[in-house]
Amino acid sequence: MEEWKPNPTVKPHKKRSWYLAWKYKLMNQRALRKLCQTGAVLFLLVTVIVNIKLILDTRRAAYEEEEESAQDYDDEMLNVEVPRHPVNNKKVLDVEVYSSRSKVYVAVDGTTVLEDEAREQGRGIHVIVLNQATGHVMAKRVFDTYSPHEDEAMVLFLNMVARGRILIFTIKDEGSFHLKETAKNVLKSLGSQVAPFLSWRDMWTFVGKKGGEVYGEKHAKSPALSTWGDPVLLKTEVHLTSVEDAECHWPDTELNRRRKRFCSKVEGYGSVCSCKDPTPIEFNPDPLKDNKVFDVPVAVIAGNRPNYLYRMLRSLLSAQGVNPQMITVFIDGYYEEPMDVVELFGLSGIQHTPISIKNARVSQHYKASLTATFNLFPDAKFAVVLEEDLDISVDFFSFLSQSIHLLEEDDSLYCISAWNDQGYEHTAEDPSLLYRVETMPGLGWVLRKSLYKDELEPKWPTPEKLWDWDMWMRMPEQRKGRECIIPDISRSYHFGIVGLNMNGYFHEAYFKKHKFNTVPNVQLKNVESLRKDNYETEIHRLLGEAEVLDHSKNPCEDSFVPDTEGKVYVMFIRMEQEADFTTWTQLAKCLHIWDLDVRGNHKGLWRLFRKRNHFLVVGVPASPYSSKKPSLVTPIYMEPPAKEEGAVAVPAVAAAEQT
Amino acid sequence: MQKINRNVVLALLSLTSLIFLLFQLCYYKFYLSQKNGAAFSKVRGSQSGQDSTRWHVVRKFLGLISSHNIPVYLIDPLILGLVDKDIEQIRSSPNGPSPECKYFCAPRDFTTFALLDKTWKHEVGLFRTAEKMGFQWLKIINKDPRLDGMDDLSGMEIPLHYIFKLASHAIHLVVFYERSGNFLWHGPLRLKQHMDRKFVPFRKLHFGRYPGAYEKPELLLVSIDDLKVQIPKNPSSFLEEMSHSRFLECRYREARAFFQLYPDDASLDAVEFRKKAKSLLHLAALTLNNLGVKFWLSSGTCLGWYRQCNVIPHSKDVDLGIFIRDYKADIIPAFKNAGLPLKHKFGKVEDSLELSFQGEDDVKLDIFFFYEEDDHIWNGGTQAKSGKKFKYLFPKFTLCWTEFVELKVHVPCETLQYVEANYGPEWKVPVKAWDWKSSPFNVQDNGVWPIDEWDNVIQIY
Repeated sequence: MEEWKPNPTVKPHKKRSWYLAWKYKLMNQRALRKLCQTGAVLFLLVTVIVNIKLILDTRRAAYEEEEESAQDYDDEMLNVEVPRHPVNNKKVLDVEVYSSRSKVYVAVDGTTVLEDEAREQGRGIHVIVLNQATGHVMAKRVFDTYSPHEDEAMVLFLNMVARGRILIFTIKDEGSFHLKETAKNVLKSLGSQVAPFLSWRDMWTFVGKKGGEVYGEKHAKSPALSTWGDPVLLKTEVHLTSVEDAECHWPDTELNRRRKRFCSKVEGYGSVCSCKDPTPIEFNPDPLKDNKVFDVPVAVIAGNRPNYLYRMLRSLLSAQGVNPQMITVFIDGYYEEPMDVVELFGLSGIQHTPISIKNARVSQHYKASLTATFNLFPDAKFAVVLEEDLDISVDFFSFLSQSIHLLEEDDSLYCISAWNDQGYEHTAEDPSLLYRVETMPGLGWVLRKSLYKDELEPKWPTPEKLWDWDMWMRMPEQRKGRECIIPDISRSYHFGIVGLNMNGYFHEAYFKKHKFNTVPNVQLKNVESLRKDNYETEIHRLLGEAEVLDHSKNPCEDSFVPDTEGKVYVMFIRMEQEADFTTWTQLAKCLHIWDLDVRGNHKGLWRLFRKRNHFLVVGVPASPYSSKKPSLVTPIYMEPPAKEEGAVAVPAVAAAEQT
Repeated sequence: MQKINRNVVLALLSLTSLIFLLFQLCYYKFYLSQKNGAAFSKVRGSQSGQDSTRWHVVRKFLGLISSHNIPVYLIDPLILGLVDKDIEQIRSSPNGPSPECKYFCAPRDFTTFALLDKTWKHEVGLFRTAEKMGFQWLKIINKDPRLDGMDDLSGMEIPLHYIFKLASHAIHLVVFYERSGNFLWHGPLRLKQHMDRKFVPFRKLHFGRYPGAYEKPELLLVSIDDLKVQIPKNPSSFLEEMSHSRFLECRYREARAFFQLYPDDASLDAVEFRKKAKSLLHLAALTLNNLGVKFWLSSGTCLGWYRQCNVIPHSKDVDLGIFIRDYKADIIPAFKNAGLPLKHKFGKVEDSLELSFQGEDDVKLDIFFFYEEDDHIWNGGTQAKSGKKFKYLFPKFTLCWTEFVELKVHVPCETLQYVEANYGPEWKVPVKAWDWKSSPFNVQDNGVWPIDEWDNVIQIY
C-alpha cells in the first residue's frame, strides 16, 4: 500500500505467475482497463465527498441544536439563578438562646434569627417557632406579658401552633407581671418546669417541641424587687425529623399544594394548616347578577401585617361577586410572609421597595400601587382601593355594582366609599341608604381612573413632603368641592389595632363600635337620588317632612330624641360660617361619634340615626338649608371644653388615622 | 512485501468504499429518524403521514384548550397566508366540510396561536390535561413590563410564551397583554439558563425574537380543514402588521438613573406642560392615524422618551417626524378640524417641508418631513426672517413601536444613533437653552431660499 502511486499512467509492474493469464487478456483491452481504473478513482472521490458532507452535516446539526436558541433567544441577563445551597442533610440543630434585662437573642446553627437590644421596646416573652424538619423560622412573636391581656394572646398563639413544631422562648426585661395561671399552665404543658414559678424580673429561656420532648430550659431568679435576674444563655441541640413527619397528608390537589407550601413556611394561622380538617382557602361565593364591577381591578394595600392580610383576604374572597383575577396585593417592602399569604390564596402580589419614611412612605406606596394597578389593567375606568386591616362586607361588590354608574356619570363626585365615618352601632340603621358627603372617608373606596391620571398622579406629594396621602386627597386643591357617596351602614370594618397611626386605645374609642353590614344582597334604595341635583331635592323633601326637635333640651341627652321609630327629626346648631364646627364637634363628642375632625357633612348638614329615627343636624346660618329653620327656634350652641379636657394626647396624634 | 497490482488495489478499495458508503447512508437515515425530523425538516419528505401529524396535533391542541374554555386565535403566518388566498370562500362557508387538508397539513415546524392574558385564569389544570394527552410543554416567563416603568416594584413574573410539543409538531402559544395605549403586547422569547435549548428549534419561531405591538384584532370563527378556529378577521392586514410589529420598551432603568442625576421638575408649570403635551400628542396621533399617515417621535419628544421616558418639561413643543413619501395634502385640513390650526409652513413638498400647528396655550406641534437619500435621511429647517435653509442629517433608520404617555407610537428603532445624530454624544445632559439653528449636532447650512419663492416656502399665520 505504501508504494501505491495513484498515477494511472505509470507503466505496469513486473508480471506475476498466478496473475498472468488474466493480465494478458486485459493487456489487449487497455481502454477498458483505463476506464475501470478511472471509474474506481471517481468512485473513491465520491465516497470521500459524501464522507465529508456527512461529517459536516452531522456537525452542523449538532451545532445547530446547541446554538439553536443560543443567539437570539438567550436571556441577555446574566445568570440570575443562584446555585442552590446543597440540601442540608444535617439532622441536629445547635440552638442558642439568651435572656437578659436589655438584650435577647436566638441563634440557630450559628445564624442569629432574633436579636433585640433596643431600649424601651421588645419587653416580654419572645417566642420563635421552628419547622421541626428544616429548622426554618416559621413565626416570631413578642408578647408583652408585663401588660394585661398579652398572655391571652400568647395562649391563643401557642394553641394555633401545630404539634411537633419547635418552640423557643426567651424573656427580655420582664415577662411575668401579667402572666396568668392559664398561660403558665400552657407553658407547663409544653414541658417547662420553671414556668409555673416564674416571677418578677426573672430571666428565662426554654426550648421544646410542642407535644413532645424538652430540649433545654434555663432560669435565673431575680434576687430582689429592684434588680433583675442574671442573664442566662441556653445552648442545646435539637434533633430534626423527616420532612414527611412534619407535613400533613392532605389529598393532592392544586389547592392543597398551595396550602402545603404555606404551612411548611409559616405558623400562627390556625386551622388553615390543620391536618384533620383544614379551613378552606377557596370560597366560591355566589356570583352577582349583572355585576358592574366584575372587571374593576382591586388593589389591596398592605404592609407587614400578614395576619391582618390573611383575615382581610378571607373576607374579600368571600364577598359575593368577587373576581380574584382582578385582585392585586401591593406589599410595602420585601416581606416574605405577606407574600406567602397572597400565594396561599392564589392571588398576585407585588412588592415595593420602600421609599421615604412613615406617612410619606405609605403615601409613596399608594402612588406606586395605584399607578401599577392602572398599568396592569389599562382598560379599567375605576379601581377599588382596600387596605390590609379591613373586613369586607359580604355585599361590598353588590353595593359598588349598584352605585358605580354614578361615579361614571356625575362629575361632581370624587369617590364612592364603603365607610361611613359616623356610622356607629348607635348612629347607623339603614343598609339600603346612601349619602353624599364632602369628606373623603377612604377605608375601601373606588377611584376613577381619569381623576387619578389627570389630576392626582402628576402632582402626588413627593417623598420629601412627608404627607399623608389621604389628608392630601382631602385638601380643597385636590377635592375641588366634589363629594363622595357613602352608605349609612359601612361595607368595611376597620379591625387594625397595630398600625402607623393606630393603637389599642384609639381603636377601642373610634373603630370598635363601628357598624358593619352583614346582610347579603341588600337592594340599595333610590340610587338615582344621589345625583347632584336630585340629592338637593331629596334633602329638601326630608327637611320638609322632618319634625323639629325641642331645642330647649340638652342634645346630648337620650331624651332629646323621642322614643319613636322610623321618624325623621331635625335639629339646628350654630355654625357661623362654612368652617365653623365648634358646636358640631361638641355634639359629635357627646354622641360618641367621630369628633377628631369634621366628617360626613354635606353643605352644613349631617345625617345619622338616633334611636332608629333619622336625625338631621343643620348648621345655621352657614348651611343653605338654614331657611328650613322655623323662626322661633334658636340654634343650639355648645361651648368648647376647657383646656385640660381638650388636651387628650392620643387622639391628637391619631387624627390622621383612617389610612 | 509483494507489490500488488494497482487494479486489484483499486478494486478492493472501491469495494470497501462501497460498503462504507452504504453503512454511512444507513446510519444517516437512522440518525434522522431518531430525531423525529424535528431538526432536519429539509430532509423530511412530504409524506402524507407527516402532513396529517400536524393536523392531528393542531386538532388535539384545540380540543385541549376548548376543554378548558381558553379562547385562542390562530396567528400562524404560514397558515394565515394560505387562508388569506381563499378568504372569501372561507368566510362564505364557515361550516363547509373541506375536501382536502389544505392549510393545517402544510409543511412547517410550528403552528402559532395567540392567547389574550386576561381571558384565562392561569389554571394549572390545563397543563396536567396536556400532559395526559401526551403533550410536552414549556413555559417561558419573564418580568412584567407594565411594572418596569414603576419605581421599585417587583411583581411576579408573567408567562410570555408556551410551547406544546407532540410527536414531530409543536404549538407555539403567544400570550398577549393589554398595555396602556390600548394595544396588545407580546414579550420576547428568552430562554433561561436551565431551560432545554433543544426542546424545539427556537430559531424557526415566528414570534419571540423581539417583543411586538399589535392592535386588538377583530376575530372571526371559521372552519378550515374541518377544524373550528378563530382567526383575525382580516388575515392580510394582520400579516402586514406582523411584518413591522417590533416593539421597544422604554429604558426605564436608565431613565431612573437620569432622574437620580437630574431630579425631575415637579413644579406646577411642569405638570401643566406635561399634561398639555400629552393631550396634544394624543390628538395628533388620533388625527394622523385616521389619515393613515405613519409618524414617529422626533427631536425633543424622542429625546424625552429615550432619556427619561417622559415629556421633557422645559421643551416647548411636541415634535413628530413623517417620511415625505407619506405626505398627504389632507394633513393640514385634518389638523384644523381637530382644533389645531396651521401656525406656519416652511419649505415645500419637494424640499425641506415643515409644518407647525398651534395647540392649546402655546404648546406647538411641529411636524418635520424626512427625505430619504441613498445613505442618509434628512429634514430641513427654514429661518423665517432671512430665508436661510438648514439641513439636519440622520443615519438611516427603521421604525419600531413603543409606549409613550399611554400611547402606542413609533420611534426610530436605532434610537441611540438618531438621538446622537441630533444631540451629539452629550445628549444625556439636559440643555435648557436650545437654539434649533445652531444647537443641533447635525445641522448644516443649506443655502437660502430664492426670494421669489418666499411667499410659498415661508408661510406664517
